Amino acid sequence: MINNSEVDLFPQKIISDKKKKSDKLNLVKAVLLDIFFVFYSIVVVQRAIYLKYILEIRDLPFSWNQIFILFVASIFIGTAWALSRTSLSCKLFGIAKDNKTTKWTVEIFAWFLFDITFIAGWIVTKISIVSIFSGEGLAGAERLFGAMFRPEFGIFDDALFAMIETIYIALIATLISIPPTLILSFFTARNLMKDNKISFTIYYVLRIILNFIRSIEPLIWAIIFSVWVGIGPFAGMIALLVHTIASNAKLYSEAIEGIEEGPVEAISATGANKIQIVWHAVVPQIILPFLSFTIYRWDINVRMATIIGLVGGGGIGTMLMQYQGLARWHEVGLIILMIAFVVWIMDYISAKIREAIY
Amino acid sequence: MILEIQNLHKVYNNGTHALKGVSFSVKEGEFLVVIGLSGSGKSTLLRSINRLIEPTSGTVRFLGKDITHIKGEELRKIKSQIGMVFQQFNLIKRRSVLSNVINGKLGSLGTFNSIIEKYSDEVYKEAYNCLDIVGIGDKAKVRSDSLSGGQQQRVAIARSLMQNPKLLLADEPVASLDPATSNSIMQYFERINKDFGTTVICNLHFLSLVRRYATRVIALKAGEIIYEGAPSDINEAWFKTIYGEEAEEVEIR
Ligand SMILES: Nc1ncnc2c1ncn2[C@@H]1O[C@H](COP(=O)(O)OP(=O)(O)OP(=O)(O)O)[C@@H](O)[C@H]1O
Ligand SMILES: [Mg+2]
Repeated sequence: MINNSEVDLFPQKIISDKKKKSDKLNLVKAVLLDIFFVFYSIVVVQRAIYLKYILEIRDLPFSWNQIFILFVASIFIGTAWALSRTSLSCKLFGIAKDNKTTKWTVEIFAWFLFDITFIAGWIVTKISIVSIFSGEGLAGAERLFGAMFRPEFGIFDDALFAMIETIYIALIATLISIPPTLILSFFTARNLMKDNKISFTIYYVLRIILNFIRSIEPLIWAIIFSVWVGIGPFAGMIALLVHTIASNAKLYSEAIEGIEEGPVEAISATGANKIQIVWHAVVPQIILPFLSFTIYRWDINVRMATIIGLVGGGGIGTMLMQYQGLARWHEVGLIILMIAFVVWIMDYISAKIREAIY
Repeated sequence: MILEIQNLHKVYNNGTHALKGVSFSVKEGEFLVVIGLSGSGKSTLLRSINRLIEPTSGTVRFLGKDITHIKGEELRKIKSQIGMVFQQFNLIKRRSVLSNVINGKLGSLGTFNSIIEKYSDEVYKEAYNCLDIVGIGDKAKVRSDSLSGGQQQRVAIARSLMQNPKLLLADEPVASLDPATSNSIMQYFERINKDFGTTVICNLHFLSLVRRYATRVIALKAGEIIYEGAPSDINEAWFKTIYGEEAEEVEIR
């Protein structure tokens, strides 16, 4: 068991070895990032600014060959630039040479990137001051707002039921999410899983899956599930459930990662096993943050449930979509007012509950 | 010999060589105090004994058994026989004093019963008994974070007594307490040592406390033992070697 070589190594040597390794890794990262920067600038300047805006070509010619040539060119320029250690990425990763050239290239290129991105963004969004103030447009807006301030109360009963459906969708999604979220959060907390290779692999894989799920908006999930289980409240509920689990598992596991280590150490020093340590030292420290996240999430889910209704997730959103399609603005007005009211109430209630438990 | 340590080394992952070949033994019933500057490796030493960390090389023998690299069930069994008290008390803040004390028994309770918190009357009796030893039986139902620092440390001592420890480790148990409270806490360790014959190993900073409570002293400097002997033999010259030329002794009573 005795491993003398490890003992005799000088700490400085270990540290400098680690630094060399991380420098190499940083250079690789810098090269890749510089290639991306160069490629991005060329494509944006050529396609968005030159072809589309200056030459005003509507349908841009597209060929993979051309893109490929641009990409190869970027690889050469980007690599050369990063290896000269004067590039923007070198600066970002802290391996740039400290001289005037670096300072100037970094500054100029950073501004250049910002400017072309802004200009291209402006062109792509088709920003047009004219259409905001056109007579026709203003008339439409006036019709809409006018109707909204004279809401049609004839559909109040239906809207109320749809609203209740929405609140229940949000509530059930939040409640059902709690047990799976709890379990997942323990498996995605670094401090609990880092001890051995198997658990660390589980941690890593779960994190990737959850990140993927979370990066897809509930609205998209609702579209997926309305195809899968059919349009209606159930599709909306599952969509919210999936997204709630993925987002709250992250919040929960971060709370677990932020706990005080001392009590955990003290309990483990008594000879307790892993399950006992989690239950008696970790859980008491995270119960309040968990409760608070969950209540807040219910509040978020009510808002999301209305949106999800727009794509067939049931509830008030679906109703809004129907009346909007028929251009019945007075009914739309009533629905929008009800949504605003309920969201405001929910916001208030959830804030009060969260205040009370802390 | 309750504890034998031979040529113990610890190199942390970041390369810090915190223990450089430490060897010593502890007899049953001793009150051993470890002194040394901040960063000299005192905590590392204690943590290697109850295996909160794994030593890099060397051996730790507890009651004749080599525990340097044991794992799993075997390690938990050893841990449950060694109590530990920390500078920051490390209680579970939102739980009652009583459940904090019962936590000390976790090593010998079934997992399921400990989760639903179903404990036998005996366990409760034992817990109250431990609380009475440190004189806070009346605080059993109070939330532990509502207590003062000195009271919290007494709860922590009661928690470690719950283990019926053969060996009690204390890592600077009075470093965040005022002088008067420090003394009263040290007296509880003394009582446990004398009344139950529990072996105590304690890290301390104040020499006046060391002289008063220790039966033997070890001084660490940069991960090596530079002094081992009776507390009364630490004179001016030794003091300067241990703490450096600039140091001056402060009294606490
Ligand atoms: N987890 C760790 N990882 C890396 N290095 C550590 C770790 N814990 C302690 N060290 C280093 O090991 C050395 C000894 O630390 P240790 O905590 O044992 O000292 P100490 O004598 O208890 O000091 P103090 O009086 O401040 O508590 C120090 O240089 C410290 O920085
Ligand atoms: Mg220490």
